[in-house]
Amino acid sequence: MKPNASSVAPTARPLRRIACGVALASLLFAGSASVAAQETIDLKERLAACAACHGDHGQGAKGAEYYPHLAGKPAGYLLQQMQGFRDGRRHYPQMIYLMQFMDDAYLMQIANWYAAQPAHAERAADGTQALDPASEARARRFVFEGDPDKALPACASCHGESLTGLEPGVPSLLSLPPDYIIAQIGGWVAGVRKSVEPDCMAKIAHKLDPADTRLLASWLSRQSSAAGARPAAAGTRKLPMACGDLPHEATMNGASAARAEVSK
Amino acid sequence: MSAGVRRSWIVLGALLPLVLLVLFVGGVLFKAQGGFAVLHVPRGGTTAVVADAATIARGKYLAQIGNCTTCHTVRGGQPFTGGRAFRSSYGTLYSSNLTPDPETGIGDWSVEEFRHAMRHGVSRNGLLYPAFPFANFSELQDADIDAIFAWLRQLPPVRTEPKPNQLEFPASQRAALLAWRMLYHRPQGQVRPVDNADPASRGRYLVDGLGHCAMCHSKRGPMASLPANGYLVGTQILGQNWYAPALDQSSLEKWTVQELADYLRSGISEKGSAYGPMAEVIYTSLRHLESGDALAIATYLKTVPAIPRRVSSMERELRVANAASKFSSPAGKKIYEQYCAECHQSDGRGRGSDYPPLAGNSQVDSDSALNNIRVILSGGIPPTTAGNPQPHSMPPFSEKLSDQQIVDVLNYIRASWGNNGSGVAADQVRALRGSTLD
Repeated sequence: MKPNASSVAPTARPLRRIACGVALASLLFAGSASVAAQETIDLKERLAACAACHGDHGQGAKGAEYYPHLAGKPAGYLLQQMQGFRDGRRHYPQMIYLMQFMDDAYLMQIANWYAAQPAHAERAADGTQALDPASEARARRFVFEGDPDKALPACASCHGESLTGLEPGVPSLLSLPPDYIIAQIGGWVAGVRKSVEPDCMAKIAHKLDPADTRLLASWLSRQSSAAGARPAAAGTRKLPMACGDLPHEATMNGASAARAEVSK
Repeated sequence: MSAGVRRSWIVLGALLPLVLLVLFVGGVLFKAQGGFAVLHVPRGGTTAVVADAATIARGKYLAQIGNCTTCHTVRGGQPFTGGRAFRSSYGTLYSSNLTPDPETGIGDWSVEEFRHAMRHGVSRNGLLYPAFPFANFSELQDADIDAIFAWLRQLPPVRTEPKPNQLEFPASQRAALLAWRMLYHRPQGQVRPVDNADPASRGRYLVDGLGHCAMCHSKRGPMASLPANGYLVGTQILGQNWYAPALDQSSLEKWTVQELADYLRSGISEKGSAYGPMAEVIYTSLRHLESGDALAIATYLKTVPAIPRRVSSMERELRVANAASKFSSPAGKKIYEQYCAECHQSDGRGRGSDYPPLAGNSQVDSDSALNNIRVILSGGIPPTTAGNPQPHSMPPFSEKLSDQQIVDVLNYIRASWGNNGSGVAADQVRALRGSTLD
């Protein structure tokens, strides 16, 4: 039986009018209709090429465990990595091939889409045997205290106490396989992975000795994060060194002084 | 007169005609490549450039359409500062700095010198390698060359360290370039007239001149020359594992002028999408085409007479074998259903330009499976353009499918739904697995 149009009309019409009004207002507030329309596009279907290695929603793919998960990582970080492949700061041929003819507008939408997906929350290392107590202690010291003798800051000082990263540009260190982490540190040492200058991770990588890199990778891959763990909110942490265009101690103080100046 | 001296005279007398013949042929060939006039670089003119804003804007557009950027920029580098490597069996060439730095760029050039280099491939630095398409640029009108020059000259000057070419002997010798020119370079005396109001005439000007389409789409003869009988017949691109398809009225029969024009600007169509080098050409150049120019190019290409291409005996055999297995290729069909049909559909019709149809696709119903193999192995994303700001993408299957599975599925695709493409063999796939991606 067909629903009787006249029976639903009296209540539905005003509601529909309100809904239209709200939709229109939100479009106006969004600044432009096309931006609003683009933001609602589900990119999953478009990003089939990425899914082969990174998973349908960037949560990782079976049989491709080496490749980093993208889901829930800070959008600023993801954007800079894609730009890095396109612009010659990172040198993974398959990624260069896929990223090289993409403009910033689309890369930003892709970054936002992966950032909005629920983060991967599994441990990367399987069958996780615990590290021996001495190694465990040494790794924890690196991660949470750093090495003052080498002027190495703690990993947690940028990546957060829970190591799930910091908006807008510091990635999570969890759920990554040890060989991926080792390859990235090696990439910074060899100059085939570069971040936007000043490249803080290149400076850190050069100070790490290979045994400690292996230890850190091994320890990190054994940690698990809570389901749905997000990067810490922007501005909740002062970075101890200058990293790309991210605010750090000196610039943050400068910026807050400038804000104070403006508000006067 | 002693016997020895007499013998010398006899030998000399016998050699003389030969020497004269060599000199005569050399002279004819030397004249054919342009004689002394083209080797004489005009120096000493004024290096100042006076141009209005409209000319500079026009120059920018023409430089985009001529795609100067792609060859004269390294990845992530400052545009037009050169240094990009071009690898081929002859070795590696590096492009030059086009910014107006007086020492390492063109800041100290007069417009006469720039015209001369563009048209004749000879600059103050000597003879230029024909990787620089001067044969195409000899088609350009003075006003267009001058506008490009005016635009380049107002870019910020950037000083660069020129990279020395690394070429094999004899290509490493600039003198060998004169020999190459004598054998293969045949400049026309006059710049051909263009009727900008006639799309086919304007289109020919853009295709043969600025667009230098022949550099990839024409089949090369000996020593990378571009003989007339290879004009736009389609070929594997020099130094690259990509195939540039034929551009002529029969190869483009299924495309309407409008479809082809839209594809040139958007990178997508319902006849196929742009990947590899064509994606780059569209991203850095053709997406900027004015719609009239895109239509002109499409109009002209659809008038180019088809030159029959020789199909190798192996290709013919594979095609026969392929046609025979057309209805009995269960392995290929099964792989297709498992991995391809979700997007490209069981009937090969795809979904618009998001998932291009494989039935009747110009790259599938074709003489070369090279691009199909590359795109199955490495996937691909068409360039972002105004007409396609959020491209769909093709996943890479290099880890999922074996060489034989790729052969099976391609032989199924290339012989189904009315396609009559050439067949594929496993060693082709194997050879392409190591292809450079960046």
